[in-house]
Order: sequence, then C-alpha cells, then structure tokens
Amino acid sequence: MILLAKLALGTLGTVVAAGGVISSEGFVSVRVHEKKPGGTHVSLMVPAMVLDTGLRFVPKENLQDASEQVRPWLPTIHAAIDALKSEGDTTFVEVREENQHVTVGTHNGAIVVDVDDDGETVHVSTPLRAIDNAIDQIAAAGPKN
Amino acid sequence: MNKNLQLGAVLCLLAGVVVMGAVAVKKTAAATTPEKFIHVRVNDASKGEMVSVNVPLSLAEKVIPTIHNGNLRNGKVTIGNMDMQDVDVRALLTAVASSPDNEFVTVKEKDQEVRVAKSKGNFIIHVTDLSSDSDESDKSAKPDKSNKKHGQNVDITIPISVVNALVPNEKQELDLVAAIRALSNASEALLVTVHDGTQDVKIWIDSQNDGSK
Repeated sequence: MILLAKLALGTLGTVVAAGGVISSEGFVSVRVHEKKPGGTHVSLMVPAMVLDTGLRFVPKENLQDASEQVRPWLPTIHAAIDALKSEGDTTFVEVREENQHVTVGTHNGAIVVDVDDDGETVHVSTPLRAIDNAIDQIAAAGPKN
Repeated sequence: MNKNLQLGAVLCLLAGVVVMGAVAVKKTAAATTPEKFIHVRVNDASKGEMVSVNVPLSLAEKVIPTIHNGNLRNGKVTIGNMDMQDVDVRALLTAVASSPDNEFVTVKEKDQEVRVAKSKGNFIIHVTDLSSDSDESDKSAKPDKSNKKHGQNVDITIPISVVNALVPNEKQELDLVAAIRALSNASEALLVTVHDGTQDVKIWIDSQNDGSK
C-alpha cells in the first residue's frame, strides 16, 4: 500500500514538474470563430515550448533563406522585444473600419492580434519570449559566418 | 536606566521606520515616472475609418539605434548635400529660443495663410489653405451637399528642444534619438493636427498607453 502511494506521489510529481516546464514559456493561443451559421470554431492553446521544440526538427536547409533575411535585423528585433517586455499592456495599432476592427498590442507579456469583421473573429496571442527564442533559432539555422 | 534604554530602542526603531519609509516613497516616485507615448490618429468621417498608432517613446529610443539601413545608422539620418549657405542654424535657433514669444512670420494670400510663431518654448506653424484642390483628390469620398470649401488646416507645435536636437551636425546627420529624448522630456503636447475635408490627422504625446485621451 505504501509502495503504491509512493508510486502515485512520484507520478504526480513528475506530471506537475513536466507541466511546469512545458508551460514555463506560456501558451500560444489561437481562436477562430466564423459567424455564419454552421461556421467553424477553432480554439487552440499550445505551450510555446512546442514551437521552440518543433523548430529544432525543421531541416536547417529549409530555414536558411529565412535565417539570411532575419540576421541583419536581429539586434533590432531583440531590442524591440526587450523593450516590449518591459512595457505594460499597450495597444500599438488599432484600425476601425465600417465592418472591421483590428487591434495589435501586448497583454501579459504576449503579442496579441484581434480581428473582428462581418465574417469572423480571430484572436492570436503569442508570448514575446517564444517569439524571441524562435527568431534566435531561425537565425542560428543559417551558415556560420 | 532600563526604561531609558527601552525608550532609546523604541526611538531608534521609529527613526529607522521613518528613514526606510522615506526611501521607499522616493523609490516608488522614481519607479512611477510616467512613460510617454507618441500617438498618431487618422480619422476619415466620410468612410467611417479610424487608424490609431501608439508607440512608447522608450521603445523608439531603444530600437532606432539598432537600425542600420539606408541613410539611417546608429540613430542618425544622414542627409546628403544640404547647403546651409553658411547660416549657423544652431546659433539662429538659440537666438530665437532666447527671444520673447512672438509671431515671426505671417503670409496672407487669397486662399492661403501661413503663420510662424514662438510660444512657451514651442515653435508653432499654422497653415490654412482654403483652395478646394484637396477635396477633388479623393473622389471616393461621399459628396458634400453643403457645397462649402473645406480647405486644409495644418497646425504644428514642436518644442524648441526637439528642433535643436534635429539640427544637422557637421557630418550632415540628424540625431533622431536625441530628438526622441527631447520629446520624452517635453511636457504632454499636441504636435500636429491636419484637417482636410472629412479627414483628420492628429499626432500628440502623453502618458496614456492607448491614446484614449
């Protein structure tokens, strides 16, 4: 009985620790809601670490072009992300038209894009830290100088 | 004797609390210095469109020096072959800055009026253009039945410190970062307003992060 309890405790501890590690970088959230009757509703919450890990499995030759393009802008991207991290929640861009409303901003350390128009509403939220890591990985995929 | 010691200890404790409180208040005051934002708002009433851009000045100050593209390097824009005809612009600006508030230039034409003035540490440029050309440029806009000339109004208010920062140096460079710093240090202000028919453009600085002022 005690052995079973120890085993359960060990499993629970492992699950909690794994959950903590996986969610440490936050979550990428995507929600799409089509307003027409019978429209699609998609709601995804993916740990940002999956993005990071997934990029490791992309063949480097597929990232070389992106790497070459992103490298000259790395200092600018890092400076921007660092500055955004230290800012509070901000709406950077808002576009309001007759049938459309778009906002781009930061919320709780994530870049958030919201689109609401006649046909659908879309919400995408990506942690800044995940974007930073992903860009670093893409940049590192190119040939070493 | 014991009572005196106890009293001394309590007084020391109180003094410590007061000092620590004062330090904490000072730190809080420093930490809550409001962040300044530059806001751009474009409104087109005829189409029911609105575009709003809000950028923290500290973000611009950190990002711009990292851009090395075209004429922009290390936060400075190089302007080629700008001949100032031996005019010392900096000395001129200093002279204007130290002069009393005044309207320096006024030009009045049939359909146009231009005024340049200095007021409360700012350069103020006001242009009114009553010619109806600007209305004809936007054919997609809904027709205005009032048949009234809309014209164009432009008001620009720039702190003199910002203009000073933007005076090109001997290498013909404009220091954008210095200009942003000068803007950060300036008080909250309306910088530019443009009214053209049904369109309005407004650029201003304040501490609101969403331009909800």
